Amino acid sequence: MLRIALAALAALMIGPGVALAQQGPLRIEITDGVIEPLPFALPGFVAETGDAGQMAADITQVIASDLTGTGLFREIPQSAHIQRFSAFETPVSYPDWQAINAQALIVGGVSMAGGKVVVKFRLFDVYSGQQLGEGQQLAASSGSWRRLAHKVADVIYSRITGESGYFDSRVVFVSETGPKNARLKRLAVMDYDGANVQYLTDSSTIVLAPRFSPTGDRVLYTTFETGFPRIKMLNVGNVSAQLLPETPGTMTFAPRFSPDGGSIVYSLEQGGNTDLWKMGVNGGGATRLTNSPAIETAPSYSPDGSRIVFESDRSGTQQLYIMPAGGGEPTRISFGEGRYGTPVWSPRGDLIAFTKQHAGRFHIGVMRTDGSEERLLTASFLDEGPTWSPNGRVIMFTRESSGAGGSAQLYSVDISGRNLKAVTTGGAASDPAWSPLLP
Amino acid sequence: MRVDRADKLGTAISAALHLGVIAWVVLGGEWFKPKPSEPVVMSEVSVMSEAEFQAMMAAAPKAAETPVTEAPAQPATPTEATPAPEPAPEAEVVPEPAPEALAEPAPAPEPAPDLTDLAPPEPAQVTEVPPTMMPPVEVPQDTLSPDFSPRPRPKPAPRVAPKAAEAPAPDARVSDMAEAETRPEEAAEPEEVVEQPKQEAAPPEATTEIVTEATETEEVAKTSAPLSTPRPRTKPAKPAPAPTETAAAEKPAAAKTPAKPAAAKPAADAVNDALAEALAGETEGTGGTGRAASGPPVTSGEKEALIVDVKACWNVGALSSEALRTSVTVAVDMKPDGKPDITSIRMVGYEGGSDAAAKQAYEAGRRAIVRCGSDGFPLPPEKYDHWRQIEIVFNPEKMRMK
Repeated sequence: MLRIALAALAALMIGPGVALAQQGPLRIEITDGVIEPLPFALPGFVAETGDAGQMAADITQVIASDLTGTGLFREIPQSAHIQRFSAFETPVSYPDWQAINAQALIVGGVSMAGGKVVVKFRLFDVYSGQQLGEGQQLAASSGSWRRLAHKVADVIYSRITGESGYFDSRVVFVSETGPKNARLKRLAVMDYDGANVQYLTDSSTIVLAPRFSPTGDRVLYTTFETGFPRIKMLNVGNVSAQLLPETPGTMTFAPRFSPDGGSIVYSLEQGGNTDLWKMGVNGGGATRLTNSPAIETAPSYSPDGSRIVFESDRSGTQQLYIMPAGGGEPTRISFGEGRYGTPVWSPRGDLIAFTKQHAGRFHIGVMRTDGSEERLLTASFLDEGPTWSPNGRVIMFTRESSGAGGSAQLYSVDISGRNLKAVTTGGAASDPAWSPLLP
Repeated sequence: MRVDRADKLGTAISAALHLGVIAWVVLGGEWFKPKPSEPVVMSEVSVMSEAEFQAMMAAAPKAAETPVTEAPAQPATPTEATPAPEPAPEAEVVPEPAPEALAEPAPAPEPAPDLTDLAPPEPAQVTEVPPTMMPPVEVPQDTLSPDFSPRPRPKPAPRVAPKAAEAPAPDARVSDMAEAETRPEEAAEPEEVVEQPKQEAAPPEATTEIVTEATETEEVAKTSAPLSTPRPRTKPAKPAPAPTETAAAEKPAAAKTPAKPAAAKPAADAVNDALAEALAGETEGTGGTGRAASGPPVTSGEKEALIVDVKACWNVGALSSEALRTSVTVAVDMKPDGKPDITSIRMVGYEGGSDAAAKQAYEAGRRAIVRCGSDGFPLPPEKYDHWRQIEIVFNPEKMRMK
């Protein structure tokens, strides 16, 4: 009764205005959606030459693995496919793909000739019934077929998500063998997914904290071959390395390239005090950036090269600070409970990844560059040393298990905290550093 | 004066004591003075990080750890460790079996390693009994392992949705294959087909927010046992009389969500609903359809039903961070049967991101309209003129932190 009375009253007061108010389109706002992997269909790439059958299958498998490995996509098994492709040019029957709820469809062909592999592909938006972007064709030597597959996956990822991919990239890390109390370490490099592991140094000396140059052709790392930590630069192309010059009686470690690749920021210990320094890649022009009795280390440049984030215990506990790239008064950005270390600036520039130790556990977390919106993504006995994927979407880090038989392993996690998974390296591994996207 | 013998003796003793005291004063300070403490040697210690320390320790010779590795090779250790399982029952009956138990491993070839320093081992013995490596003895040490064993936690749901949903039963199967539509010509035949009861499809498992490993471990670490006893529930109140509007009750209560938004409408919405219903009644009574402006407006409940339908298909999981900061407005022309005219879907505007981000956000919105609109949206046909064109603002504001 009350409602009817209200309605009658409102009708009298408003009258014909109601109808006029409804002249425009019906307008609604949606602020809640769902987050789930986007289903895609990837029929096996068509072998366009007689000898390309296995290669086509391998490339298809790597593309599927790349996409599903992100946690953002879900492959619909080929057994559920209704339409089959016998040729690359076969017209797409969209209802067949809508029927199995595929939202994206990838069709490709592979041919081989003269030691070269040629891959061509198209991406379709099933529900709009149209092609998403132009078809592309890539060619490489047959030995680089995995890179071809990664390139295709990068393009697909980019077209669907709107951000660049990270599949055609590499990771340099420290490969570990032997028992925990006598571990042998050497530098190794692999594809981002753990394939193609190659060793860059032998295990005659301890090596730590490798870092790629912005172009991916050089690696900085810390070596103990002189008995004390020193910085060495390695040319990935010819696997030759050289010690960077230093002042006698000092120890240098934790190096990292500047975004332009022209200089190196690092930690230098002298007389019991550790500060941050900077020098050119040729070893000249060493400049002190900090001057305090505290320990300053783990520096990392912002993507534009204007600032440096680092860890320091100048406040009494290990915290994160940001200062201008040329030195100057640092600003503390971490204020949570526990100790913060190994900060790394995101390639996008908006986040800083870090290691946090609190209440007997280690975490990998991210925060904004002003220290706000801190989010812990992992928790374990020992997590440390984050490194960003080239697109700033994924973080790889070291996880060490407890106990005398524990070993280090590489893990990756999406910046949302989802899709935490181990990276297969064929053995114990630590200290990962992600390269930029390969050219 | 006659001196008594006793006095002489006393004088002599006194003199001796005094001489002793004088001698202690003169010489005692030299003999018994405290030795100066040894000078403290100062040496500078540089502070190094934990990683450096571990590296230095790893680089150092293994001298410190060698006793641990050698210990298992000693024959004495296994004699204590091995008999534990078997001789225990016998030991309860008679105390003598203990030596018997020790006698069993005794003939084992452990003595052989002891002789290796003195004489070369005989080949036959070596081949028969390979030098099995004993596993290193686990040195008890302080660990950070929890003092309780938490139950294995189920894997977090891969889907984040506004409504949580339990994982389907193990025998339930979510099929990728959609059911084929009935052919029109078959449906046109007047045969009475007994419709087989359909088994309800299990909704996909979903959670309402992303649960990171850090969140999970926090929960587990804090709750090995209930920290408090919940109070008994209060007596439920008497059921209220059934409301006249029952549209909201038609939805299955599969998800454990709080009250429906429709149940908590503000007074203004209630007035609008009442107005719309009253007007609708009038329109139905007259039987005329009229122009769009003359029909009843779409109620907020009907709008809510549309929103629920669209957002179930609005998947932002594959959107970039920038696209998640972009709000897009998408317009679509509707058909009278409640299905969208796919060719009419267009982006009206956006805010908060770049062109590229807006395009990605638009694509996600368009997919939602197409997917969930394929069966028609739940819109009242009699109010078609009011929803023949719809504008949907896709604002991922609440999805950024999930």
